[in-house]
Amino acid sequence: MIEVKDLVRTFKSGDRTIKPVNGVSFELGQGTLASIVGKSGSGKSTLLSLLGALDKPTSGDVVVNGVSLAGMPDGKLTEYRRRDIGFVFQQFNLVPNLSALDNVMLPMEFAGVRKSVRAERARALLEQVQLDPDKHGRRINRLSGGEQQRVAIARALANEPKLILADEPTGNLDEQTGEHIIALLSSLSRDHNTTILVVTHDRTLANKTDRRFRLQQGKLTEEPVRGRAAEPAAV
Amino acid sequence: MSVLARSVGNAFRNKVRTAAVVAVLAVAIGLALAMLVANQAVGAKVQELNASVGTVLTVNPAGGQGFEGGGEPLTAEQAATAADVPNVTAVVGTKALRLRNAAEAAAQAAAGTQAGPGGGQGGPGGQTTTTLTTILTAAVDAGTLGARNQDSSGTTAATGSTGSTGTTATTQPARALPITATGTGAEVDSTGKALELTSGTGLGDYTAESTKALLGTTLAEKNNLKVGSTFTINSKTFTVAGLFDAGTAFGNNALYVTLPTAQTLAELPGELSTMIVTVDSMENVDAAKTALQNALGTDKADVTQGQRNLETAVTSLDSVKNISMVAFIAALGTAGLIILLIMVMLVRERRREIGVLKAIGAPNRTICLQFVLEALVLVALGSVVGAVLASFASGGIASALVSSSTGTTAAPAGQRGGGFAGAAGGLPGGQGGPFGGASQLLTSVTASVSPGILAAGIAAVFGVAIIGALVPALLTARIRPIEVLRGE
Ligand SMILES: Nc1ncnc2c1ncn2[C@@H]1O[C@H](COP(=O)(O)OP(=O)(O)O)[C@@H](O)[C@H]1O
Ligand SMILES: [Mg+2]
Repeated sequence: MIEVKDLVRTFKSGDRTIKPVNGVSFELGQGTLASIVGKSGSGKSTLLSLLGALDKPTSGDVVVNGVSLAGMPDGKLTEYRRRDIGFVFQQFNLVPNLSALDNVMLPMEFAGVRKSVRAERARALLEQVQLDPDKHGRRINRLSGGEQQRVAIARALANEPKLILADEPTGNLDEQTGEHIIALLSSLSRDHNTTILVVTHDRTLANKTDRRFRLQQGKLTEEPVRGRAAEPAAV
Repeated sequence: MSVLARSVGNAFRNKVRTAAVVAVLAVAIGLALAMLVANQAVGAKVQELNASVGTVLTVNPAGGQGFEGGGEPLTAEQAATAADVPNVTAVVGTKALRLRNAAEAAAQAAAGTQAGPGGGQGGPGGQTTTTLTTILTAAVDAGTLGARNQDSSGTTAATGSTGSTGTTATTQPARALPITATGTGAEVDSTGKALELTSGTGLGDYTAESTKALLGTTLAEKNNLKVGSTFTINSKTFTVAGLFDAGTAFGNNALYVTLPTAQTLAELPGELSTMIVTVDSMENVDAAKTALQNALGTDKADVTQGQRNLETAVTSLDSVKNISMVAFIAALGTAGLIILLIMVMLVRERRREIGVLKAIGAPNRTICLQFVLEALVLVALGSVVGAVLASFASGGIASALVSSSTGTTAAPAGQRGGGFAGAAGGLPGGQGGPFGGASQLLTSVTASVSPGILAAGIAAVFGVAIIGALVPALLTARIRPIEVLRGE
């Protein structure tokens, strides 16, 4: 469902040119849970931002369900992010002065979903990510990191995207909470048949995904994994 | 949660800062509104003054402006000459008479005092006034000022003419002010303003002798006269044809007869006290005045513009009007600038959050709208507080503006205030007390805060705020969604 073709993104830093993404190509099928590992500064976030149309590549193309992002006008890219992509960030990136419920409803509001439907659906999603119901109306800055990341995952799911891009979603969480989050993503990809691409430092987490990629010197290589088929579906 | 709800929420994110911003906005908006109110109040006053200056010129005998009078009386031929001056649309002659109550005059004569000229000398035309007796009693008591005035002028007159020293006030019977009778060639008062009849009819043909008269409401009341009642002037019987209301106590202590009637009563046929010349338009008044003066001759007649003395007042009020307009625009601009800077600051501060909204698919216009609405929430709060400030401050600001810019005019007005009271017994209208009149008009600039003006002012504030907020709000479109990853 997602096809990456010879993607290049270079940055000019003074007289040096950095090439964190330098000719990356791969394909992912629908419903796959994949991970990207790599050293800090190797370009993982840069690659993810290109896939999610947060940034534009220097060259190359990303084709999602047969539609090419290259040359797409900004308005269409916004629509692509809204409809087809769900983001989960290391720093959660929720709107701090809104409630959990309001945060989950935001993407639906942008997509023009009716108000009554929004609230109902947001509640269902928050239940799905196992946020305590009496915390649904709580302001984001009064939730713990793990709770915030659950809200962020619910928000990513709001418009039923085809692809969820998660950039070190457990990076700011303790080990146990991180495991819960990964298990949650894993079950979501199975239940919703959603493609999930997760960037992580955690080897054990990376091992639980269907496919694992390593980004090194701008190039992406696939590594063999045990796969999650062997694992019990723990949520 | 809608865009609006989010904007309102964002406006209160930092309550201390919101309070500070609202306070600063309130001062700017309050000042703008106060200036607008002052501008409107002064503007209305200027219009009123201009209207009262009007297109009327008054012709008096040359040298007749002084208190003691002099010069040659005006004639019917001069009226014809005046009528031929270009742009003159009408010439109305008047003949002023002064009426004293017959019984009172007799009592005063018996007491050995002269019937003093009274307080009426201030008015132009007073110099050619003939005093007659009537059965009528004046509607205005002399009062303390009037009595003092009559007393002192009576003394002066006595010293000049008979050499006897004035009698003391204690020996004099209580006096009423004289009644002004004016023979007029049209249904206008001596300033050229149409008489406002409250009952009865006019005098019909004002160019023919008649035994009909128009009485001021208070004068009629004082003497128990109604339309159809009769009274006498110099033993001649007159019938009340109608009652008029001049709007002032002095103006209503007067009566009007036709011009020939007054001339006959005074036994001075063809003689005029004043001519009221109407010019076709405001622009032609100055030219017509010069032409009229030349046609009549400077040695024969003085041409004055009605309430000419108000011109300085109008000029200074006009500058107050301009100053307040400039201040309004400046304060409005300041409010806009405050909004601009605050919003630029907020947009910079929320760069990352804007990135988040874009990353989750917020269209640029939604984000732009959100920031404009947030600015408008701040402006709305500032406007409410500002309007309250303005409604308390605009009266003070308006009068401070007026008194500071017209200080030079106001000072002599205060000193000559006494002249106003004394002169008021003269011809009806403000001519008797030019400075007193001007001062009264100036201090009566009341800056009442009308809801309409406030609404217009606040609309202007919102207009400026939208412009001020739009610039930073549109800048949000240039923030790229990748900002969401900044600092990660
Ligand atoms: N906007 C940018 N301008 C210049 N250099 C950048 C920019 N974004 C990322 N980089 C550089 O690209 C490299 C890869 O960064 P990043 O994708 O964040 O790495 P990772 O997420 O794998 O830690 C880093 O060296 C970083 O400094
Ligand atoms: Mg990164």
